[in-house]
Amino acid sequence: MATGTRTGRSRVTLIFLLLSSATLLTLDARDFGPLQRTEETLFDLISPLRSGADRVFDPVGDAWTGVTGYDELESENEELRQELQMLEGQRILDSDAAIRLESLLDELGLPYVQDIPNIVAEVVTANVGNFDRYSVQINRGAEDGVRNGMPVVTRGGLIGRIDGDPGRRHARVALITDPGFEVGVLVVGSDDVALASGGGRGEPLVVGKGLEIDTEVAVGDQVVTSGVDRSRYPAGIPIGTVTEIDYDEARLFQILTVNPSANTDNLSFVTVLLYDPLAEGS
Amino acid sequence: MNTLSSYARSALFLVTVLVLHLALFSDLRVLGVAPEVPLAIAITAGLVGGPERGAVAGFAIGLGIDLFLPTLFGLSALIYTVWGYAVGLLQERIFRSAWWINVLVAAVATAGGLLVYAVLGELLGEANLYTDRLYMVMAVAAAYNLVLSLPLLGLWRWSWPRLLGEDR
Repeated sequence: MATGTRTGRSRVTLIFLLLSSATLLTLDARDFGPLQRTEETLFDLISPLRSGADRVFDPVGDAWTGVTGYDELESENEELRQELQMLEGQRILDSDAAIRLESLLDELGLPYVQDIPNIVAEVVTANVGNFDRYSVQINRGAEDGVRNGMPVVTRGGLIGRIDGDPGRRHARVALITDPGFEVGVLVVGSDDVALASGGGRGEPLVVGKGLEIDTEVAVGDQVVTSGVDRSRYPAGIPIGTVTEIDYDEARLFQILTVNPSANTDNLSFVTVLLYDPLAEGS
Repeated sequence: MNTLSSYARSALFLVTVLVLHLALFSDLRVLGVAPEVPLAIAITAGLVGGPERGAVAGFAIGLGIDLFLPTLFGLSALIYTVWGYAVGLLQERIFRSAWWINVLVAAVATAGGLLVYAVLGELLGEANLYTDRLYMVMAVAAAYNLVLSLPLLGLWRWSWPRLLGEDR
C-alpha cells in the first residue's frame, strides 16, 4: 500500500515537473519578459559565487590544460613561430594594404570602426558544457545600449555578434566560428562582396558565396567586413587572411579559406560596437 | 526538522556542485570534452533516492545549468528530470544493486542522456547539437561520470541520511 502511494506521488511529481519544464521552454521560445528577468536575477545570484570560485580554481584549470594539451601547445608554438616570421615579411605589405583599404572605404563612403561608439565587456561565461562551443556570455546588456545583432570585436578583429535580445546586464555573443554564422566580407583591394561563414572551433572560416571567378585574390590577402548598405557590421573590421583558394564545382565562384585574425578561445574582454545600421544617426 | 535539514543539505549540495561545475569541472576537458556533472547529479540522485528525488534533483540542477547555456531555458531541466526519474525507476525495479552496477549505470545513462539531449534539442530548433562530434562527447563524458559517480553517490547519501532506512 505504501509503495503504491509512493509510486503515485512520484508520478504526480514527474508530471508536474515535466509540465513546468515545457512551460519554461515555451515561454523562453517566445521571449517572455518576466521569465527573462527571473533568469537574470538567478544568474546574478549565482555569478558572485562563480566568480569567487573561478579565482580559486583558475590555476587548477590552467594546470590541467597544460598537462592534457601539451602536444597541442607544442604544435601551436611551432605555428606561432612560423606565423611570426611570415608577419615580419608581411609588415611592409600591410602598410600598403591599409592605404588601399582606406581609399576603398573612402570611395564607398562607409563608416570607420573607430568612429562608432563602443563599450568594453567582460566575458563572464564561456563553454560550460559540451554543446555551447560557439557562444560566450558578457556582462553588458540592454542597460548599456547593447542590442541584438551588434558586432563584437577584439583587437584582432571581428569575433561575433550579440545573439538574441540581451538581458539588462548580460548578453550572449554568437562566435564567428559557429558554422551558422554568416558575415558579408570583401577582400581588401577588390570590390566583390561575398559571404563568409564559420567553420567550427579551431577551424578556418570559409568564403563560399559571391566571390566571382575573375576577382583577383591571392593567398595572404586580408579579408574585412564589407559594410554594404544595411549590413549588420560596419565596413573594415578585420576578419582574417586568405590561406587557400579553391573553386566551386561549376567554377562560377571562388571558395576562400580564411584564417581568422581574432582568437575566440580564452576570451577575457571584448568590445561591443554599438552599431545599428537601421537606427538613425548610427 | 530532519526533513528540513535534508532539504537544506540537498540545496547546499546542488548549489555547490553547480558552482564547481561552472568554475572548475567545465575547464577539466579531455579531448575537448568536459565532464557532464549536472547530468551525473540527476542520475546519481535517481540511483540513491529513487524516481521522485531523481526527478526533482534533475529539474533543479537542470534549471541551474540552463541559466548559463545558450540553449532554450528549460531544455536541460526537462531532460534531466526524465533521466533522474527513469534511472530511479530502473534502480528501484531492476537493479537494487551493488555499487559497481550503480557506477556502470551512471556511465551508460550519461551517454544516453546526452544523445537524448542532442536529439530533442535539434527537434526544438537548436543548432549544432547532433554533430559528428556527439559520439566522442558521449564516450568521454560517460568515462568521466563513471569516475565522478562514486563521490556523488556518497554525497547524495550524506544529503539524504534518513532515506536508506525509512523513506524507501
